Amino acid sequence: MASAWCWSCLSRLRPTTRAVLPPPSAIPRLTSAPFHSSAVQYAPPLKKKSNSMTQLKYRQGQTLRRKKKKTVERARPPAPGERKALRKRIILSNPNALEVEGMQEISAENIVDARLRGSVLGLPVPMLDQLRAVQAFKPKQGWSIFRRPGAVVRRDTVEMGRLFEKISGEGDAAEKGKVVKKVVTGTKGSGKTVHLLQAMSMGFLKKWVVVTIPEARELVSGDTAYVPVEGSKPTQYIQPGATSALLMRTVEANREVLSGLKVSQKHDIAGVKPTSTLEDLAKLGFQDPALAWPVFKALWTELTASAAAPGMEKDFQTRPPMLVAVDGLAHWMHNSAYRDTDYKLIHAHDLVFVKHFLSLLRNGQAEMKNGGMLLYATSTSNSPGVYALEVALDQMTARQAGIKPTSPEYPSAEAYSNADPRVLDLFKPIEGKEPQMELQTLGGLTRDETRGYLEYFARSGLLREPVNENWVGEKWSMSGGGIIGELEKLGRHVRSAAIPTPAAN
Amino acid sequence: MACGEVHSSEKRCCRMISPAHRGQASIEPSINRSDNLFSGKMVFILGVNFPERNLLKKSLESFFGIGNHTSSRLLARFNIHPTCRVGELANKQVLDMTAVLSDMKIENDLRREVLNDIKRLKETGTYRGRRHALGLPVRGQRTRTQIKTPVKLNRMERRM
Amino acid sequence: MARPTSNGLVQAMQSLRLSSQFPQRSLIPSSRHLSRAYATEAETETNTAIQPESIPDLPVQAAPEIDFSTSFLRNPARIVPASPSYFSGSPRFVDHVLHLESLQARYAALPQLPAGEAPRMAWFKLKQFREYVGEAVPVKKYKSLVKILQRLNRIQPEMVPGEVRTVLDSFLRPGNPYAVVRETPELDENGKARAKGKRKESKAVVHLVEGEGEVLVNGKSIVEAFPRVHDRESALWALRTTERMDKYNAWVTVRGGGVTGQTEAVTLAIARALMVHEPGLKPLLRRAGVITVDARRVERKKPGHVKARKMPAWVKR
Repeated sequence: MASAWCWSCLSRLRPTTRAVLPPPSAIPRLTSAPFHSSAVQYAPPLKKKSNSMTQLKYRQGQTLRRKKKKTVERARPPAPGERKALRKRIILSNPNALEVEGMQEISAENIVDARLRGSVLGLPVPMLDQLRAVQAFKPKQGWSIFRRPGAVVRRDTVEMGRLFEKISGEGDAAEKGKVVKKVVTGTKGSGKTVHLLQAMSMGFLKKWVVVTIPEARELVSGDTAYVPVEGSKPTQYIQPGATSALLMRTVEANREVLSGLKVSQKHDIAGVKPTSTLEDLAKLGFQDPALAWPVFKALWTELTASAAAPGMEKDFQTRPPMLVAVDGLAHWMHNSAYRDTDYKLIHAHDLVFVKHFLSLLRNGQAEMKNGGMLLYATSTSNSPGVYALEVALDQMTARQAGIKPTSPEYPSAEAYSNADPRVLDLFKPIEGKEPQMELQTLGGLTRDETRGYLEYFARSGLLREPVNENWVGEKWSMSGGGIIGELEKLGRHVRSAAIPTPAAN
Repeated sequence: MACGEVHSSEKRCCRMISPAHRGQASIEPSINRSDNLFSGKMVFILGVNFPERNLLKKSLESFFGIGNHTSSRLLARFNIHPTCRVGELANKQVLDMTAVLSDMKIENDLRREVLNDIKRLKETGTYRGRRHALGLPVRGQRTRTQIKTPVKLNRMERRM
Repeated sequence: MARPTSNGLVQAMQSLRLSSQFPQRSLIPSSRHLSRAYATEAETETNTAIQPESIPDLPVQAAPEIDFSTSFLRNPARIVPASPSYFSGSPRFVDHVLHLESLQARYAALPQLPAGEAPRMAWFKLKQFREYVGEAVPVKKYKSLVKILQRLNRIQPEMVPGEVRTVLDSFLRPGNPYAVVRETPELDENGKARAKGKRKESKAVVHLVEGEGEVLVNGKSIVEAFPRVHDRESALWALRTTERMDKYNAWVTVRGGGVTGQTEAVTLAIARALMVHEPGLKPLLRRAGVITVDARRVERKKPGHVKARKMPAWVKR
């Protein structure tokens, strides 16, 4: 008999005979299932060889009988680009999943509500287009198994909500115009990208300008055009295609905000009128990639302006705070795949686009005068290994723990390790100048949050097991201490195991 | 290097951005719009027509005498990214590329040179020349097995 | 059981021994006795008749009169072996068997313990026994001897006769292997249980303490150590099946082998460590199959084979 416990094997999906909790007062009922790991027992019993030649009927021809090979009808291969589209497709809804009753939507009021910790907040439908425009969703994040997209509120989320309130000038201790710079790290599946998504949704709620780079790698992987800037030394490179795509994303997502703001500075760009809105300005960029970078610079000066240029004060409105979210920071810390005219690899910091966004991160750099938040995510498990970045993050951790850079315990790059000086320089501490960079490490969910998250699975009809303390504790351990991506996998696994199949053998 | 010349001269790449030429740059016709998804047009490089959606690097490597080494250096020289399609090239870049290619010893020139070298070996009566004429491996390989390629290629009237 | 024939033989031997004292009483020391074979303790009167000629000075004496009434008739006419089993091929073994059988018969009436409760004894292994008797004893026959030993061993301990005790002890191997009682592992002063597990080429050491269900494998989180859910499950199966997942913290060090071997080595180690904390869980863990050692290892490759068993394809020539 095949044992029943191995329910994560796709080969045999059977209901588990999980050890179910006895009633708490009773003596523990000792139930178990046999343990094994090999598929030997699953093997079907050997069939007797049915040799057609030996089973000849009486007076049947003795000639060799051969089966004709079936000609397999090959379907036409998919059209160019179709496979990629399928791979990149993002499905945000599963009509077969149950609607979760009483599910709240994220709103400007409840982002600071600590009571909501552990519950899943839905994303409002009109915001979905904006989030899609900034490519906040990634495939394989499990959006397609629920009725509607939503994200768990965890401790970090509530803290971030408070920051958003402060910077927007609301709440108790308003710090309007403050700039918060964070490097978000965490292991694979710890929810960094979704954390950025939550930040973006808060940004949209608070009517901030949201600028995102959903894949930092695309800028250095050598897949978009690059053009040298004349007269720069060392030669800098502009990426017109990527810049134009960034402008498109920004305009599409922030149309409402940008169309309400007028040009307030003088720009050396043909087609800019004093009456045109920022949206018009940005549109100039994505109509012509050659213009994209100057237009982006112009848009950036507009958004960071705290006052209008002389003579243009008429329509000036204060600019909203900005959210800059970059996913995959580590890719910007080494050589790119581009080559210069001497066939040498170009360092990522020589790409103007990358350099612009990295310079914002620098300690003490306060270009964003209207305040805002910078969130730069990088994984600790699945990213290019850049030694200098590791050292820099260690140093940041040490500084946050109160170790002075002069103390002997302060980590530094090993001798002869050849750490990239440009990277170390980027993260160099500058005493006394605000804003400083912070390191935020995303760990696992707490048990309560885990419970809330798994209950969401149950209420969506994906789990058929009672979500109780013991079961949640088990899943929490199994997911390495509440790593949310692993919890999501486990949630799915249980679902497949819950489908009853007849015991075939 | 030729690239320095390209930068400084009038033939500068249309997509190069400098304040003085910015306006002009936008006026110049550019085929490299990504939204056209490469209509069935062809691009003419060194007398050969390439479909627009072909990779530029692969297209260059289709010339006799250009392999991975040369093609990737050619791309770097004109600041073209390695996954560039033929259709993304600006006219100027096509012309520059053709100009550089026409200066190189590729295709028939290269074939002729190779044939001449072999012919010289034969005429001077060297061992290598004899091996060429006999249809046997030239560089000391074993002949017991696996000499299909020299049997196929090396003959009196060698063709490339 | 004592056979009358064998008794008769023994008596004959005894008488033979008595009568053979005679030549030694003479003044000439004889070295012949020293070179005697062990089972052929026989002497005849002919020996005494031959007198060495090296003592001519002694006054000649007449031979004593033959007393036909006593010893002469009782002495056999030829050499008789000491043991009746002399011609059986393995006489010492047969002697042992006979002796044991006689003991068994004699004490058959003593009360005995049920089969499983007799004290465990380490009898000679076959090879040791062969050395002990110096004969090539067949397996089957030795087994029958051991059977008698076990029967004698089942006599209730307080009633065992001293004779039986000494005989049984003579069949024990040197150094009592059952005397060493394995120490039951215990928690250390910090409430930590340590246990090891092996599977394939992997070896795992687990430190288990009461806690909240945190598991670290080689200093990493279990997700990083075992990315597959299946592996994680099987590693923690002992805790899971006993519903102890959130009651213990485990610190695991595992080395060698591949992923499957490592996970299952961890399974075994955790189960053993759990038994130190809660010995009552043993039957449950046994049923769950997590404390059963899988002793299988990769079979070695043999010369002439392609793999361990696979042979090269047969070619006619």
